Amino acid sequence: MVGEAIVITSGKGGVGKTTTSANIGTALALQGQKVCLIDTDIGLRNLDVVMGLENRIIYDLVDAAEGRCKVQQALIRDKRFDCLHLLPAAQTKDKSAVNPEQMQEIVETLRPEYDFILIDCPAGIEQGFKNAVSGADKAIVVTTPDTAAVRDADRIIGLLENEDIEPPKLVVNRVRSDLSREGNVLDVEDVVATLAVDLLGMIVDEEHVLKAAHKGEPIAMDPNSRASLGYRNIARRLLGESVPLMAVEEKKSFFSKVKSLFGIKS
Amino acid sequence: MTNNNGNYVTIKGTKEGLTIVLNDQCSFHELLEELKKKIEREQRLFENGPQVEVRVDAGNRYLSKSHEEEITEVLNKTGSVRVHEVHSNVMTKDEAQEVIEKATVTSVTQIVRSGQVLRKTGDILIIGDVNPGGVVEATGNIYVIGALKGIARAGTEGADHAVVCASVMIPKQISISDTYFYAPEKHEKQEQKPAIEGPGYAYVTGEEYKAIAFEETKMLGHYLRSVSYT
Repeated sequence: MVGEAIVITSGKGGVGKTTTSANIGTALALQGQKVCLIDTDIGLRNLDVVMGLENRIIYDLVDAAEGRCKVQQALIRDKRFDCLHLLPAAQTKDKSAVNPEQMQEIVETLRPEYDFILIDCPAGIEQGFKNAVSGADKAIVVTTPDTAAVRDADRIIGLLENEDIEPPKLVVNRVRSDLSREGNVLDVEDVVATLAVDLLGMIVDEEHVLKAAHKGEPIAMDPNSRASLGYRNIARRLLGESVPLMAVEEKKSFFSKVKSLFGIKS
Repeated sequence: MTNNNGNYVTIKGTKEGLTIVLNDQCSFHELLEELKKKIEREQRLFENGPQVEVRVDAGNRYLSKSHEEEITEVLNKTGSVRVHEVHSNVMTKDEAQEVIEKATVTSVTQIVRSGQVLRKTGDILIIGDVNPGGVVEATGNIYVIGALKGIARAGTEGADHAVVCASVMIPKQISISDTYFYAPEKHEKQEQKPAIEGPGYAYVTGEEYKAIAFEETKMLGHYLRSVSYT
């Protein structure tokens, strides 16, 4: 088994890298894949919190990089899935505590044991980004449909083009059909046209996502949420299935609008 | 040594003005000495006459910048002579390389993304977009087959007649030589409108107050011909 190492990055902070990492990881695990999540946001770790695994951390990425423990010892098994593991970041150090060579070594150690290694990248384009990217063979760029996030995603894609890595795929997070319809934010087509990369999926903006992250339980577990469906579709696409893009607008509400037009109560 | 005194420098009158032909076989020192003498001798001639345009022809002699300046200085001392051009048939390899670079079109197939700077001597042809935050700089013209949404700087070494041409013209900023165009401030979160609908080019217009104007691409040939005559 030779796993794929995928870095999840965005440039800008707060667009949902960590949430996306946690949920794609969970969705892949749901499909029965062996997944390892690596949090490279040293000093500002979050992935463990989003996954609800904070209190189980003993060793971290820096310990593993510096040889204070074996890589396998630092891994934490997920509460819900046996096949989902997390390598947490250190909270007390900073990005310079690890270098790209150490990162590559860790990824190579893990590669034979997993189907997917998802690397959660910190915001920015400095050392942390270089570390995260060095071990990866693919990249997923996360952006939200606003100008600033798209600008930074564009910058990141430019930087990824210089790396020895496959052309990145795009995830558009927090899609709001009501706002883009009124022309208040960019719509997904605009984002894809500007960035000129393949769209891997889009996640509609939902309260459920925030609530789930608050509880330390990834939204991908929720069978009824549309955001969850978005993540699960991404996982299926990563496994090579071709899944059509979900309509941003809810069909039900559309029909109810038509019905209300004719005075039929829905 | 002074045998052929008087043969190194020849002054000819032509339709455009005076041409001073310099012998290219003697030493530069000798040449300069004789030029000085000749000018002194003819001082009367220059003194009261109207301003004369002079072209200096150095033949097959290589003239460095400082040599050129020395010659110009000697001639300018007379007061009524203006050196229009110092011509030599010879240039260094570096200079020749520069001339070639300035005349070449570099074609680049990529998207110039935010934070990337593409800088070239001569013209640039970009097959792809220039995204917001991306910068393209050329000493000559810039052609974009795609959308120009970032910054384009043409004629960066002072070529006022350079143009920026794009299939879709939504630039944040364009500069040609030292004339600038800024995209109008957009209000609310509305998309920026194109500077011109459809394929277009930007050029410098106006004499005293220069500004950048936009025109449809089909007029570009006309514009380029008009600037090549001036």
